[in-house]
Amino acid sequence: MTETANNTVLQVRNYSLDYLTASGAFHALKNIDLEVGAGEILGLVGESGSGKTSMAWSIMRYLPSNAREVGGDIRLRGEDLTAKSPTEVNCMRGKRISMVFQDPGTSLNPTLSLGTQLTETLRRHRGLTGKQAWSEGEAMLDRVGLKSPAEMMKRMPHEASGGEKQRVVIATAFACNPECIIFDEPTTALDVITSRQILDLFLDLQAETGVASLYISHDLALLSRTAKRVAVIRRGEIVEQGAVDAIFNAPQHDYTRQLIAAVPRPSDRLTQTRPSYQDQPLMKVENVSVHYGRKPFLSALTGRSFEHFAGNRAVSLSVQPGEILGIVGESGSGKSTLAKAMTGLNPFEGQMTFAGRTIAGLADMDRAYRKNVQMIFQHPDASLNPRQKIREILARPLKLYGEGEGSAMAQRVGDMLEQVRLPRTHADRYPHQLSGGEKQRVAIARAFASRPKLVICDEITSALDVSVQASIIELLLELHREHSTAFLFITHDLNLIRQIAHRIAVMYRGDLLEVVPAEDIISPERADYTRRLLAAVPTPAGASPAEADL
Amino acid sequence: MIELLKRLLRTPQGAVGLVLVVLVFIVVLFGPLLAPRDPEAMSILARYKGPSASFLLGTDQYGRDILSRLLIGARSTVTMAVFATLAGTFAGAFIGTVSAFLGGRADEFIMRTIDAIMAIPNLLFALLIVNLLGSSSINALVAVAVAFAPGMARITRSVALAVRKQDYVSAAIARGESSRYIILREMLPNVVAPIVVETTIRVSFAVMLFATLSFLGLGAQPPATEWGLMVSEARQYMHLSAGILIWPSLAIAIVAIGFNLLGDGLRDALNPRTGG
Amino acid sequence: MIVYTLFIVSLVVFAITQVLPADAAVMMLGENATDQALEALRQQMGLNDPIWLQYLHWLGGILHGDFGQSLRTGQPVGPAMLQALGRSLLLAVLSIALMLVLAIPLGVLAAIRRGKLADMIVSLISYAGVSLPEFVTATLAVLFVADWAKLLPPTGYVPLTENFLDGLAHLILPVCVVSIILIAHVSRMVRSELVDVLHTDYIRAARLKGLSTSRVLFGHALRNALLPTITVVALDVGYLLGGIIVVEEIFALPGIGRQLIVAIQTRDLPAIQAGVLLMAATYSIVNFAADILYAWLDKRIQYD
Repeated sequence: MTETANNTVLQVRNYSLDYLTASGAFHALKNIDLEVGAGEILGLVGESGSGKTSMAWSIMRYLPSNAREVGGDIRLRGEDLTAKSPTEVNCMRGKRISMVFQDPGTSLNPTLSLGTQLTETLRRHRGLTGKQAWSEGEAMLDRVGLKSPAEMMKRMPHEASGGEKQRVVIATAFACNPECIIFDEPTTALDVITSRQILDLFLDLQAETGVASLYISHDLALLSRTAKRVAVIRRGEIVEQGAVDAIFNAPQHDYTRQLIAAVPRPSDRLTQTRPSYQDQPLMKVENVSVHYGRKPFLSALTGRSFEHFAGNRAVSLSVQPGEILGIVGESGSGKSTLAKAMTGLNPFEGQMTFAGRTIAGLADMDRAYRKNVQMIFQHPDASLNPRQKIREILARPLKLYGEGEGSAMAQRVGDMLEQVRLPRTHADRYPHQLSGGEKQRVAIARAFASRPKLVICDEITSALDVSVQASIIELLLELHREHSTAFLFITHDLNLIRQIAHRIAVMYRGDLLEVVPAEDIISPERADYTRRLLAAVPTPAGASPAEADL
Repeated sequence: MIELLKRLLRTPQGAVGLVLVVLVFIVVLFGPLLAPRDPEAMSILARYKGPSASFLLGTDQYGRDILSRLLIGARSTVTMAVFATLAGTFAGAFIGTVSAFLGGRADEFIMRTIDAIMAIPNLLFALLIVNLLGSSSINALVAVAVAFAPGMARITRSVALAVRKQDYVSAAIARGESSRYIILREMLPNVVAPIVVETTIRVSFAVMLFATLSFLGLGAQPPATEWGLMVSEARQYMHLSAGILIWPSLAIAIVAIGFNLLGDGLRDALNPRTGG
Repeated sequence: MIVYTLFIVSLVVFAITQVLPADAAVMMLGENATDQALEALRQQMGLNDPIWLQYLHWLGGILHGDFGQSLRTGQPVGPAMLQALGRSLLLAVLSIALMLVLAIPLGVLAAIRRGKLADMIVSLISYAGVSLPEFVTATLAVLFVADWAKLLPPTGYVPLTENFLDGLAHLILPVCVVSIILIAHVSRMVRSELVDVLHTDYIRAARLKGLSTSRVLFGHALRNALLPTITVVALDVGYLLGGIIVVEEIFALPGIGRQLIVAIQTRDLPAIQAGVLLMAATYSIVNFAADILYAWLDKRIQYD
């Protein structure tokens, strides 16, 4: 499908961009060809480092001083943006082309009210007076679905939720009726259900205004449900471009195929094992509650409000030997809190039983417990000590649990690295010299060093690219098969958990709602919240028809 | 170590700072050998002379060679300042780490008390202690060390707290590591770097504080060659020869700037991510 | 909080000064006084009481506004110190005013022109300012401005109520000297804060909304960068007080700093105690006020 010339709003032709660095020119974008027509949504999908964000900055003419445009042009309704002066560019931004950012928490000025930040564009580009802009702002907030718009205008950013803030940001972007809007991962920082609402809002507004939209994301599943056409970008090059159906059902390029294959599809069951539910559970959690926070005595004096963090309220569940139990929930649901209680990082009330032994608190978590219950954290940058070499990091659990000495150690460390498919030479490196995926593999190797019976994975792939995530999951399942390790897999990605878990536990605001076998998660008998959660999660196009009906 | 030096030399602050500080240390170590004349040799005829071949920086009110006095004086000024800062750092770091480790009410109590002590300005505190102990160089050293300790405690504590929150510390706790291991092997290496930076910068404050004490007559006593003392003595005679005043002032400034720059350079070089 | 601070300060001051080897009675009556007379005076001054009792007496006196009598002059310490404090406060306030007027624009300039010549110059001035002790700057100032150029009177104090212009002329140099360190420190802070703010996501978003540069700078960036400056300025009052001591000594201004130096040199206990307490109290009150101001402003603004 080709757009006729006068319907094309944004056109990027043969555009190339370099960044000058100390080690030479880095080719960020190479010969990019993109087109977005009026009323159309073009999805731009790529992993980290692909250059998709650079593309957005180039279009908005917001490039750092070491950027060099090597060739090509960017046209907005035929006008060459690369030829525009800074003043013209400033006039154009917000008025003809605007942008919606990823994290509403950081892209709004915390010291100005929401109303001020919305109306400043109206006053700047549409020449409205203060009063006019304010009432226009209220109307816009109403349009984006905010209750009590008048009151919301006066609120400060910290007084609004993530979803509410993002609606304000979207309202600001649409405020001056631009011809084109760039959306840079607008739902990534939001909860699953809120994301869905924002997505619906966006589709609604887009259909109504006919604005040309460039929707950048790393989430293929989401794009497959949103965009009409998709461009796949990898290392600065557009690898494949075309209609959504074509791309997802018949990908041409290897990379596209690989990317699509990596996206979790609930229908693709990855775990083949089946745990026995007759045996005694490996880990039993009974009525465990965690309370957070202690009010500092000065806060009463200064009148600052104090938030109590979501703990856990009488949570009870169990994990069978060799079982993969998934825990899903949004942020604040208490899933991490529970994991931390189980590893002694949070004090808790209630009782836990591990392999027959009662664990009532930190004191009961002896060496045997520690050897058998290990944890892997979300952020690979933070969970490895930046001042220790990989060798030290991996040797430590061996030393601690008394499993090796001296020269045999070097051999064992090398073996551990190989087990997680990393080269033995990585032992000499520091964490900052490894990629995110490699660091997470090291964390996995560290956890498996003592051959634990239970491994708690706290959102371990959330910070990784989708293809890296796929390989990490593959590795974990391999280890699971080999050692019959039980997993407590915490995530907010429902599609992923349906692929790998035996049973799924749903948590909401500190409470455990229900625990069901994975295949029963779609049953209509599920709790309200569970069904809402499922409905909010986009499943990728090209999935089997049975799934697509959700 | 070589790595560190290379990274240090990459930034302008690091390079200049390192050069200055190395120069200062050379003077401290070899001062007496480098000094052309006896710093205490007075000569009535040679008073208030400007720079010349025999007296490179001129002479002071007693005809003593300024250059020699400066070179010898580096010992008292700089070494005192460095030791005072180190002493203050050790004391403060100990208190700060313990406080961070204890956490809870104990930590709050210790910190409130430290804050209260810090309500007395540094100079004043040092003055009080010198007053208590008597005026001499050693006592001034103790005074400066005690004055610096609360500030260092505060900084160590906040760094220790930040490190304690990191996931790798949580991972260590979850592994069941002993407190001793966590503090020494996980936390300390990451705490040491910012402390080293802060300490280096504080040396420049110590130099100035020490010089001020001597200036007020409460630190080194005549005929010591401490730079602050030289400035103080010079005040009466400065219209006869400005050099008496300017050279020691310049010396103080150079040392202070040098340590300041070195501290800034170390800040970048010691960060495992930006230094590379 | 402030009460606790002052309590601790009073403890520290008392502890440090009361452990003095000097015998207050000997100082008052002289070396040749008879043992009996000395003993009588000790009894009268309560020097034979246990330490904690002496402390309570002293504290009680202070809470009634009685700071005791100077061992040097025999006059009540309170009024003299308070008057001196007033003069020092004038110096302090003028210095802070000068500092604010100069440091903030310098910091902003350096931040906007980061990496360029203007930034380097401001940085250089900053480093120099922070590396020169007050006594050096003061002495050099007196040398160059007063002695050589003969622009301003070198030392001495003239109350503003007597002769405004002359009084002002005598204050210019001291104020400038005290300000230099403050300007160096605060401009560096302002620059650093502003540079950080200019790199935030919300400034980027503001620019990409097409807002004018002045709107982004003044309406968004500056107001956020200046908030932490309040805290820094409050902390700097500590350096300010230290600088005042030295400057008053050099310029012969009869402020509280000068009184303290004299008191220390003559080991005038009550005067030392009163002086330190007043200075610490000033510092605490300023910081407390800054904390309240910051908390009030911050209540409207919590960072996510």
